[in-house]
Amino acid sequence: MPTNNANDAETTSAASTMPLMAAADLQDHLMTASMDLDRLQTLLSDACDTLMQRFHGASEHIRTLREHDHTGEESDLVFNDVMQHLGGAVTALQFQDMASQLINHTHKRIRSCVDRLAREAFAEEEDGEVAMEEIPLRPNPVTQAEMDVGSVELF
Amino acid sequence: MHSILAVDDSASMRQMVSFTLKSAGYNVTEAVDGQDAYEKTNGRDFDLVLTDQNMPRMDGISLTKKLRDNPKFKTTPILILTTESSDQMKQAGRSAGATGWLVKPFDPAKLLEVIKKVVR
Repeated sequence: MPTNNANDAETTSAASTMPLMAAADLQDHLMTASMDLDRLQTLLSDACDTLMQRFHGASEHIRTLREHDHTGEESDLVFNDVMQHLGGAVTALQFQDMASQLINHTHKRIRSCVDRLAREAFAEEEDGEVAMEEIPLRPNPVTQAEMDVGSVELF
Repeated sequence: MHSILAVDDSASMRQMVSFTLKSAGYNVTEAVDGQDAYEKTNGRDFDLVLTDQNMPRMDGISLTKKLRDNPKFKTTPILILTTESSDQMKQAGRSAGATGWLVKPFDPAKLLEVIKKVVR
């Protein structure tokens, strides 16, 4: 039959092991999220490259048609209409830059959590101090929630 | 034909800015960050610099300060086109000598209107 002292030791051991396991688990999840963000970044970049190629292809085609077609006012109206649509696409296609900055920022924040976990939860497990470089986190540069046109301020 | 130096570390942004400016008849030189832009100003004149703020190696505000130190770019219009919209950042841009602050995403017609206003 275990003594009280043995029970206490068991409880203490469980208490110190559990947070470590939870920390390891948490670190695992954060690393997975970080890798998923990397993949998302690649997917976005790939999709945007294709969109850009198509966009440039279409606009070049329209210009060529315009140069060879001089049927008058109606043609001008159609051309101006198409150019307006392309202008709208130029605004929307800037999503990749903004999304990429958001992903990078979130990536840094996650890495900083992983590093902090390593430093604070596992430092005593290691032979020496875990040397991690602290990355100063500044506020997220992207505050936009929609692709509305941004403000213009001349000084 | 006016020449514009377009600076952004995002390839897609450079393409969108170049497309817009070239469509309006401007001559565009692209740079991938502030350092690259600064090197490209060596021995060359530009009528306007349109730069992003957050970039590796050298950001837009640092580029603005460096260009303003160069007598050749003392009065050249410098527009900062960025996702940053805080008053603090705008003030930093203004103090560095920027001509204007444009928040992304830009509308091509609006951008051209601003450029027309500041380019002499």
